Amino acid sequence: MTEGRGPTGTLQVGAVVERLAVGPAWLVDPATGRSGPGEILVEGGRLRAVDWLSGEAAAGVDERGIVVAPGFIDLHAHFREPGNEDAETIATGQAAAAHGGFTTVCLMPNTEPPVDEPSVVARIGAAAAASGSPVRVLVYGTVSVGRGGEQLAAIGELADAGVVGFSDDGASVRSAALLRNALLYAGMAGLPVVEHVEEASLCAGAEAHEGLVATVLGLRGWPAAAEAAVVARDLAVLEAVVEDEPRARLHLAHLSTREALDLVRAAKARGLPVSCEVTPHHIGLADEWLAGARRWAWEAVDETGRPRNPWADGALVARPYATACKVNPPLRSADHAVACLAALADGTADALATDHAPHTVVDKLVEFGLAANGISGIETALGVLLAAVDSGRIGLDRALAALTVGPALILGERLGRRVGLVEGEPADLVVFDRGARWRVTEDALASKGRNSPLLGRELPGRVLATVADGRLAYADPELVAGAVSTDGEAAGR
Amino acid sequence: MTAVEAPPTGGPGAAPPARGWRRRHLLDLDELTWPEIELVLETTDAMKEVLGRPIAKVPALRGRNVTTLFYEASTRTRVSFEVAAKNLSADVVNVAVASSSVTKGESFVDTIRTIEALGADMLVIRHAVSGAPYLAAEIFGGNVLNAGDGWHAHPTQALLDLYTMRERLPDGSVAGKKVVILGDILHSRVARSNVWSLTAAGADLWLCGPATLLRGFEAWAAAGAAAGRPFTVTSDVSAALRDAAVVMALRIQRERMAAGLLPSLREYAARFGLTQERLRLARPDVVVMHPGPMNEGVEIAPDVATDPRAVITDQVTNGVAVRMALLYLLAGVHGEVAAG
Repeated sequence: MTEGRGPTGTLQVGAVVERLAVGPAWLVDPATGRSGPGEILVEGGRLRAVDWLSGEAAAGVDERGIVVAPGFIDLHAHFREPGNEDAETIATGQAAAAHGGFTTVCLMPNTEPPVDEPSVVARIGAAAAASGSPVRVLVYGTVSVGRGGEQLAAIGELADAGVVGFSDDGASVRSAALLRNALLYAGMAGLPVVEHVEEASLCAGAEAHEGLVATVLGLRGWPAAAEAAVVARDLAVLEAVVEDEPRARLHLAHLSTREALDLVRAAKARGLPVSCEVTPHHIGLADEWLAGARRWAWEAVDETGRPRNPWADGALVARPYATACKVNPPLRSADHAVACLAALADGTADALATDHAPHTVVDKLVEFGLAANGISGIETALGVLLAAVDSGRIGLDRALAALTVGPALILGERLGRRVGLVEGEPADLVVFDRGARWRVTEDALASKGRNSPLLGRELPGRVLATVADGRLAYADPELVAGAVSTDGEAAGR
Repeated sequence: MTAVEAPPTGGPGAAPPARGWRRRHLLDLDELTWPEIELVLETTDAMKEVLGRPIAKVPALRGRNVTTLFYEASTRTRVSFEVAAKNLSADVVNVAVASSSVTKGESFVDTIRTIEALGADMLVIRHAVSGAPYLAAEIFGGNVLNAGDGWHAHPTQALLDLYTMRERLPDGSVAGKKVVILGDILHSRVARSNVWSLTAAGADLWLCGPATLLRGFEAWAAAGAAAGRPFTVTSDVSAALRDAAVVMALRIQRERMAAGLLPSLREYAARFGLTQERLRLARPDVVVMHPGPMNEGVEIAPDVATDPRAVITDQVTNGVAVRMALLYLLAGVHGEVAAG
């Protein structure tokens, strides 16, 4: 271990990383499927060397320590600008993303105004460029004008303006007929329609996953069937559409139920061009958190996979009705959460996406039923995922693939860069210490959104440095000195 | 049963912490242990004795400000709390908030802070949104009593129900007795709170109603209210009523038809209404209850409501005594020594 050296002048957020060496550490390159001990060297913003180590040099290095991986890609985030800059701005969102290890984010178009015509795309792009952060900001356009579900948005013009797909996120595309047209029209540009799947008639006024917890707490139920019902509709529409437009693609956002994931698994087996994402909170948290439980979802199922009764086994430790846990889709019962994690592990879910949804205190410090839906989660995604890895239900390589190559495949060429530890390319990577735990506090979060149910909790996997497009996006002020050498000398663990 | 002394007659703010009671708030019954519930019931005995005096008033809460904050229209519960607080010599402030201002204007949190700044020591809160009293308890520096929140809980009602049952049942205990709650279980905070208290008391609890109004309760029954505290859910009204020792009918609201949950009140009355004919399935000495307000001819036939076995007015009287007991017990627990 070298003596701690403070980050040198080259480690300024936004500045090109002139020289950064990491290792021996555990390198994970999901692009090639390779992982193991190694060292990397960044010079002049480029990944100059990736050296895989073996024998003596690799001794003592394992996947439980410092890990280097390609920068993470978030397929689903809300940065609230334009329209609700009190909750988040592009700049604070980028800072939060970088703190979470993300170097690319895809923003949902439900801003005010919504991204239903090209000028809003330009406005967001300008804000991202002005922030000084190298975190790449990509945007979705809406499917319908004003997300109203009636008339197609300017899909062609939005595609020309660079959007990565189309979504009326916040609600399903209202009619099957409009969805069909959107899939066909977006298909001409080779872009996906990203569906928020929820049968509205089953969810009127819904507050919590329909089941034991909602029943006991007297909350209006949000049935699991509401998700599968729309997934079934959408897949039937997609199957018909691809006969006319083979480039049509459907991506299902934040799936949260076993039944919906089973439908996707079967559709993929039939060869349909469908992909899907799950969120950190839907794999790690369960509806019992609304009642005051704070254990991981995989700890909340019994040997047969059924959810435990938190009122019967003493699991309730926090005050009930925490609005930080109110989200759409809702935190499901633990059996669904475990099914989401299994779907991520077996590849049914292509990506882990954060659905980062920051809200102001004004929108959250209210009665539960009146609180806004959403969890601020881009900074805690890695920690939840690593906790899932620690549970043994998913491997580290697969987990990191779901944050890198998985979303990259969905974005295709619109990602605008190669993903992987590729020598000679602009450096785009994250360095984290899987063994170092950090406490989620308001002060520790870069996001304006403090609406995290994980506040106060310790998570594994402290991000030490995030490098995006050759520039420093984030550096841990304390740990970077000891773990990451800035003078080219390899730092031990 | 341990004897509980009559409330002290000391000066302002003299109520000492009651023996064994350490909770600052009463939000739901899920956390209460059976000894705690028994302490409430025993304290209620003492309060009933006070109610029987020529001047039903003791100075236990003299100088204390009890504010009722009602976001939902209610006559009987609010008045019951007011009478209870006045019987204990508290100063009472009643605040009624039109439901329309829940979503516009002053926020709930601001309202709580304002009420506290105006000098409230104890807050009695009724709210249409489940869980709102928990938020109030986090903000408010004094004691919070839940007077009904959304579909979630109505703890003082469940305690007065239990008290009334014990008063009327032959051996003064509900343990092992078949208790049936019949009606709109889904939307009922009374049913939910009664699940906790009656399973804690060891009753053989049955919840019965049309399947559309039982949604979710099968899951709860399968899990049990708590470890080793099972109950039964059924839409078979005959099976539910057979040999019942207690039957409680719940109000059916007209909105349920608009929401498509019931075809008509007439059909409900025919299939689930508590009639004399159905009541013959129960024990001959069955105790008939209703938390009010009643729709006579819908969930309960008029001749059942006035049957000598009906204890509906006793429930109202006991409600005052139970609320006196709870105000008294909670008043002895302040923020600094809060445990519950």
